[in-house]
Amino acid sequence: MSRNVRDTRRERVRIDREPSVGHTVRVPSPETTPLDDALVACAAGTPDAFGPVYDALAPAAYGTAIGVLRDPDHAAEVTQEVMVEVWQTAAKFDPARATARTWVVTLARRRAVDRVRAEQARRDRDQRDLDTSVAGSGYDVVSEDVERRLEGAAVRRCLESLTGTQREAVVDAYYGGRTYREVAERLGAALPTVKTRIRDGLIRLRNCLGVNHG
Amino acid sequence: MADSTHDAWDLLPAYALDAVDDLERRTVERLLDTDPAARRALDEYREVVAAFTVNTQPPPALRDAVMSRIEQGTTAAPGERSTVDDVAWSGPDVETRTGPGHSSGDGNVVPMARRRRRWGLVAAAAAAVVAVAVPTTVAIQATVEQNQLQQQVDTVAQMMADPSAQLLRSEVAGGGQASVLVAGEDFLFSASDLPDVGADSTYQLWLVGAEGGVTSAGLLDPQEGSVEQLLQGVDGVGLAVSVEPAGGSEQPTTDPVVVLAEG
Repeated sequence: MSRNVRDTRRERVRIDREPSVGHTVRVPSPETTPLDDALVACAAGTPDAFGPVYDALAPAAYGTAIGVLRDPDHAAEVTQEVMVEVWQTAAKFDPARATARTWVVTLARRRAVDRVRAEQARRDRDQRDLDTSVAGSGYDVVSEDVERRLEGAAVRRCLESLTGTQREAVVDAYYGGRTYREVAERLGAALPTVKTRIRDGLIRLRNCLGVNHG
Repeated sequence: MADSTHDAWDLLPAYALDAVDDLERRTVERLLDTDPAARRALDEYREVVAAFTVNTQPPPALRDAVMSRIEQGTTAAPGERSTVDDVAWSGPDVETRTGPGHSSGDGNVVPMARRRRRWGLVAAAAAAVVAVAVPTTVAIQATVEQNQLQQQVDTVAQMMADPSAQLLRSEVAGGGQASVLVAGEDFLFSASDLPDVGADSTYQLWLVGAEGGVTSAGLLDPQEGSVEQLLQGVDGVGLAVSVEPAGGSEQPTTDPVVVLAEG
């Protein structure tokens, strides 16, 4: 968990924005939201301070978990773990690097994917158990399903800017909780090819979303 | 070197998606440790990944569950919060894990609050171990410099979260138990209830190579019979311990009291 956000600097760089000049300077974004500030304040606060932060961020954690895990019970358990972790590690949150939402999503995704893999490992170990409860939902990514899950996601419109193979690789890694190695196996594609598709796919999404920390 | 840096950069997007294996994760994290541009690129990819999330209201009961857990966990001052309560698994041996360094009572002991926090990381990592059913708890000793300790905890946390990690356990001839957690090239050796071998002798740890050769992995200095040693980035198939004359030996001079190796 700590490796998600290694840099625990808390300084924020304030930049006087000058009227457009001929070049850009790479600086961290100086903007923070009240939510970011509230989360920062939690590091030194009492549990009361966490209530509003929970309300603002738990939907991002739960939405992330259920996107990957699909099962509401698993997703609720992961959300609980993540939100307690958010409180306990609030001091590690660095608003110069990410918004509070992105930070929480990162933590939630890591835990959700860990759970998928643990579940997978358990099933691999116990092959005769064809686990009806989870295998039924499975982690195979079906395209109609993806459409439904993406409804309301900021990234949705941008996925159209990807090639079919890029989209397939990114979506399979994202919703399947798979390593790119497993994605390659599943798609019957070469490893470097899949790595490239994921990379180029995310770069296109980044550009389409206008994400730029530089 | 240039190649591995290049590889690590190439892996950043997959890393942001958690779509890398443990070895690759470490490769990327080495890059992130040293390159601010890589961290910035990662932050951008993470923002992209976060754009997949559709905010969804969790079950209302969850709020009370979380709030009561954090209230229980904060009888200490906020800066000293223990993350032990972080995990659903409360750890049967949390108490004993703080044991070895406890009684030393000298200036080298890491302050209790800090140590508990660090142990919390280990406990959180141990939860991942439980999830993949590795049947034990493992401790490292909190008597090293703080930075080193943090690094070790990070390494141990990674090892414990590694689904391919293996745990080997055995009784020690003469008394005690020993185990080693093997994850890639990292070995976490741990032993307890070791009898005192006296001032003229010492326990010595050996790394067993694939060809059967052994190299010293240091002397063991058990505190109250317990000792842990972390070996990182070593090439071997297992560990062994023998009792050697004080000061240790170049090569084992006695039969091992325990051998922990696969197969």
